Amino acid sequence: MSKTNIEEINRNIYDIKNKDEYDYKIKKGLTKEIIEEISKQKNDPIWMKEFRLKALDVYNSLEMPTWGPDLSELNMDDIATYVRPKTGLSNSWEDVPEDIKNTFDKLGIPEAEKKSLAGVGAQYDSEVVYHSMKEELIKQGVIYTDMETAVRKYPDLVKEHFMKCVPVNDHKFVALHGAVWSGGSFVYVPKGIKVDIPLQSYFRLNSPESGQFEHTLIIVDEGASLHFIEGCSAPKYNKVNLHAGCVELYVKDNAYLRYSTIENWSKNMLNLNTKKAIVGNNAKMEWVSGSFGSKISMLYPMSILNGENAKTEFTGISFAGKGQNLDNGFKVIHNNINTSSIVNAKSISKNGGTCTYRSLVRVNETAKNSKCSVSCESLMLDDISKSDTIPTSDIRTDEVEFSHEAKIGKISDKTIFYLMSRGISEEDAKAMIVRGFAYPISKELPVEYAVEMNNLINLELEGSIG
Amino acid sequence: MILNETPVRTSKNFNINNIELTDFNIPTNIPKFNNVTISDNISITENTTNFKLKYGLGDILENQVKSSSNKKIKINIEKNIAEPILIDFNFNKDNLSLIEDIEICASENKKANIIIKYRYKEDIEYYHNGIIRLNTKPNSNINISIINLLNEQSYNFLSIENILEENSKINYCNVDFGGKNSITNYYSNLKGNNSNNQINCIYLGKQNQFFDLNFIGELYGEKSNIDIEVQGALKDNAKKHFKGTIDFKKGSKKSKGNENEFCMLMSDTSKSIALPMLLCGEEDVEGNHSSAAGKVDNKQLFYIMSRGFNYKEAMKLIVKARFNNILENLRDEKLKNEIIYEIDKRLD
Repeated sequence: MSKTNIEEINRNIYDIKNKDEYDYKIKKGLTKEIIEEISKQKNDPIWMKEFRLKALDVYNSLEMPTWGPDLSELNMDDIATYVRPKTGLSNSWEDVPEDIKNTFDKLGIPEAEKKSLAGVGAQYDSEVVYHSMKEELIKQGVIYTDMETAVRKYPDLVKEHFMKCVPVNDHKFVALHGAVWSGGSFVYVPKGIKVDIPLQSYFRLNSPESGQFEHTLIIVDEGASLHFIEGCSAPKYNKVNLHAGCVELYVKDNAYLRYSTIENWSKNMLNLNTKKAIVGNNAKMEWVSGSFGSKISMLYPMSILNGENAKTEFTGISFAGKGQNLDNGFKVIHNNINTSSIVNAKSISKNGGTCTYRSLVRVNETAKNSKCSVSCESLMLDDISKSDTIPTSDIRTDEVEFSHEAKIGKISDKTIFYLMSRGISEEDAKAMIVRGFAYPISKELPVEYAVEMNNLINLELEGSIG
Repeated sequence: MILNETPVRTSKNFNINNIELTDFNIPTNIPKFNNVTISDNISITENTTNFKLKYGLGDILENQVKSSSNKKIKINIEKNIAEPILIDFNFNKDNLSLIEDIEICASENKKANIIIKYRYKEDIEYYHNGIIRLNTKPNSNINISIINLLNEQSYNFLSIENILEENSKINYCNVDFGGKNSITNYYSNLKGNNSNNQINCIYLGKQNQFFDLNFIGELYGEKSNIDIEVQGALKDNAKKHFKGTIDFKKGSKKSKGNENEFCMLMSDTSKSIALPMLLCGEEDVEGNHSSAAGKVDNKQLFYIMSRGFNYKEAMKLIVKARFNNILENLRDEKLKNEIIYEIDKRLD
């Protein structure tokens, strides 16, 4: 069967560039003076300023990763780590400047808010420009606000949890985040409260040669539940942009949290994000992840199963096209008895893209009677792409059931032949197979986001297979 | 001493990219190793050629073999040999250290079955550092079994490098029971179309034994095939690293690669780390891997014990049953029985 040329896709709405207008942009680079200036601009309390400076020291003391994609093009002297947009935080879209509102309109955020969300946060460059939540959740004591407001209004809650789940010495880019973080969302769901409709934060980076370092801190208290959705995108520039966000999730005893991400950064973005959850007794943490954008992505969400009977599931897909190197995966640490984890990861590589699934399963001595099942599948759509699977398992007790399986291959010729014999064109047959391959992930998303994911897959596949 | 690096690194925190041996110095000034028996169905020489391993365990150990090997064996398989070629190294108090350089070349269309055994007499510390190189010319077929029956106090280092030409086949069987530290690096370059490498490995660890197994298969030829099957059991404080890499290089169309690793944990202080990698730069291939770890199924144990076996006997039966599929590949009944005896002895 002949192959058609694989074209660079038009990312249409995601590539809309606004003029690089801002209220304040810090000079490029990473020095003590720059950190002090960010702290001053953000009116940090003293403890936060000291925290940032300590994190900078840690950043300077840690080495770059000696594994994974080549990050040599990243030069912090070329990156502005703080860009304050020309607007403050508001809780009405009418108060958001026209060009910024238009961007979020085109991304469908206000529309989704009306139809299917209980609350929305929207970040533009380094600051949150919009935050709102339904009245009934406020009455129930749910807190959903930007991180800066949380630092000021709920200092004890923030101090107790901020960068405790992801300590600054975890790796170099966490330390960087600790030094320059700005924006992000804070969620607290009180004991026993079930938030039935999802909350969503959307992160948009418009400014070229800059970084986004938002901090998301979610505490789902005992017996509570939440579905949180995170979306991200940026227009494409010729120079490198950096995203080094941090997500800390606390799922207390008997609580439930689902964290869904549709990541569609532009293809000049280095996405070096860190996400971690601590899961309590009988609690459950679910990750749903779709990774489509970025030039380089190194993203390995992690669940630490500290409580008895704690459970976690990871369902994720990566889709790498021309010039992309998506090194994604999942990590889980079993620390207590009867814990369980299920991992289902998929990847698609095409047009010279590289997908790597990298993971860790660690079952500690204390995690007797634990279970873990990992499955990963990789699909290659042409012979110039690359797909690697690099899973590590570290089993330290005999009272465990652990299994891992993975397969790599191309679209089956027999399946294409079968579909074509039913009158479906070769191109449609292949697209159908790819959508079917991604279905286990898209079915886990709310319908609006499953549609968005399918649209992204269609966009990525347009003219690319045959 | 940093040893046995993986071809692709992963996070340093996962502690699997390489191993570091501390408090260990490699012995020097080693006398000739005399206690070796070689079957008389093949003529051997000591004229091994110079080499540079692509992977291997590391420069220090490789250089020791290059400069100070106390046993060189060069075998040219120039005719079909029906009876196994046996090379039997027997360590004792007069032959404490072996640094061997073995080079085997199988000529076109030739077949042979080679058994290399490492045994010991007195229960003292021994040192083994070996390199085995095997080149199979087109249409040749070699079965090679490496049987490590050293004790639990010794150091066992082994690097293997194979180059497989068109339509050639290597069946490799590794029985890895001995060594306080047993570190193996196995690399196959499947450069020929239709080349085929079957790797079967069993390991059995007890007390404080540590195994680091690093299997690497690079597939270049079209329709080439590699299967890696590893079965192991660990009791007491034994620990193992399994690192398996199947790397489909561009051009290896219609090739297949499978790796399967299972570790039976027989105590709650034994540890198993596994990194089964699939690297793929070619679309038209099929690659699969699976790995699993866990303890013996209680129902299975109960069933066997209800038939009159005690706990220890039942455990031995289960381990032997697991290993049996791999031992079937040995094609030598006497050797198979010897290994079964060793399993019984080591599980006592």
